[in-house]
Amino acid sequence: MSDSYVIVGDGIAGASAAETLREEAPDAEITVLTDEGESLYNRILIKEYAKGKLPEAPISIHQEDWYDEHDVDLRLNTIVDDIDVEGDAVHTHEGETFAYDSLLLAIGGTPQQLPVENADAEGIHHFWTFQDARRIKESVEDAERAVIVGAGLLGIDFAAICGAQDVEAKYLMRGDNWWRYALSAEGAEIMHEAMRERGVEPVFGSGVDHFEVDDDGHVEAAVDPNGERYECDFAGVAIGLDFNTELVRDTPLELDDGIVVDEFMRTNVDNVFAAGDITTFNDLILGERAKNGSWGSAKEQGTIAARNMIDYASEEFRWVSSYSITHFDFPFLSFGHPTLGDDYAEATTAEGEWRRVALKDGKVVGGVLIGDLSPQSAFKQLMREGRDVSGQTDRLMEPGFSVDDLAAPTEQ
Amino acid sequence: MSLRDTGRRLRLRRTGRIPSDARVRHYDELDEEEQSVVRELAGEPWTAPEIGDLDDGDVVKFTDYYQIRSR
Repeated sequence: MSDSYVIVGDGIAGASAAETLREEAPDAEITVLTDEGESLYNRILIKEYAKGKLPEAPISIHQEDWYDEHDVDLRLNTIVDDIDVEGDAVHTHEGETFAYDSLLLAIGGTPQQLPVENADAEGIHHFWTFQDARRIKESVEDAERAVIVGAGLLGIDFAAICGAQDVEAKYLMRGDNWWRYALSAEGAEIMHEAMRERGVEPVFGSGVDHFEVDDDGHVEAAVDPNGERYECDFAGVAIGLDFNTELVRDTPLELDDGIVVDEFMRTNVDNVFAAGDITTFNDLILGERAKNGSWGSAKEQGTIAARNMIDYASEEFRWVSSYSITHFDFPFLSFGHPTLGDDYAEATTAEGEWRRVALKDGKVVGGVLIGDLSPQSAFKQLMREGRDVSGQTDRLMEPGFSVDDLAAPTEQ
Repeated sequence: MSLRDTGRRLRLRRTGRIPSDARVRHYDELDEEEQSVVRELAGEPWTAPEIGDLDDGDVVKFTDYYQIRSR
């Protein structure tokens, strides 16, 4: 009898696992369960659809016939409501049971709602799925004024969408600059200026105390903690994700801001694996548990999980992630863990070009590049090698930096 | 990924119209070598040897939309 694999989630982590399982275990029974109504699409490009820059068709990655052709049993609109890890089975909301030899949980997260009055009003949007993107596009096209909340990598997508759709927006931030955990004021100002050029005005020391709605329950204003009122027809909220751990809360699976997995993507239950946003994984490069929500990381985790589901400990997850913002006429890229570290080096290397490297115990653990992305491979290489750059951080800030510019590593 | 020994060279052409049947990828989906080529060729009249999985007609979203031309 062939092995049977059940995958919960058809995002890039679940789908890459299905692909790998089919390639490396040709006779396996593979079932993919997803609560979404459509098969794998390109989550990085849905913001481009909402901006009105890209049609729907290129965003689809796996048409439904892909699953037939690869003998993968795809179940759309299927909500898993119970996982029995002792009985090796998952149960769905429609009463179906799927038994497995090995299970992969690629169940991701759900956008957090602001804990304020009227946060669920009509016209207030969160951005995670393709369906969200369709609703946002429709709503923003009819809007003249918008409010954006969430000064991070997801919030800036709302800023770009408003800019692209000629909607005047106020971007309400609690701190003094955008993504204050990773950028200093100098780097952030480059981003602020790009927003202003597109009609999006950053408002600092702000946030949302509550939303006001009209008689139909549609948002008409956001009021910040200072009492300032910002009228809007559209609000975009991107303050973070709640990881979908509810499903496994009553199981023996270890949780720590997600499902804890080892470097082989296995949980503390031998035949249960996890991949993608949901994982808190053993980051071999950082040397501690970490989380990562980038597309590349999720795809790699799905692939590695699949290989270890077939043959445990056959391949470890060792990855330096990166995430770029390409909304403006200059590129932005964060890599590794730019908000961690015990020390930093940063510099403006040319007009409109800025970089920051986060260091921990003298080693690069992440950073941000604005304008000039050319050192990204060198910085990632330093991370992978775990090179101690103590006393040489000035060289990391040199234009045209390459790993060869550093003194040869000494025996550790 | 690595260089492909085809004798063909890549060019990136800025494009505003994305065909529905085009393969469109974001910069973040490319491997490091492909990203390096895209950074070097975007907005420039230069060419580079074919590399990795960048094929004629593909579209890459970087700071703009760029169509790959391979000749």
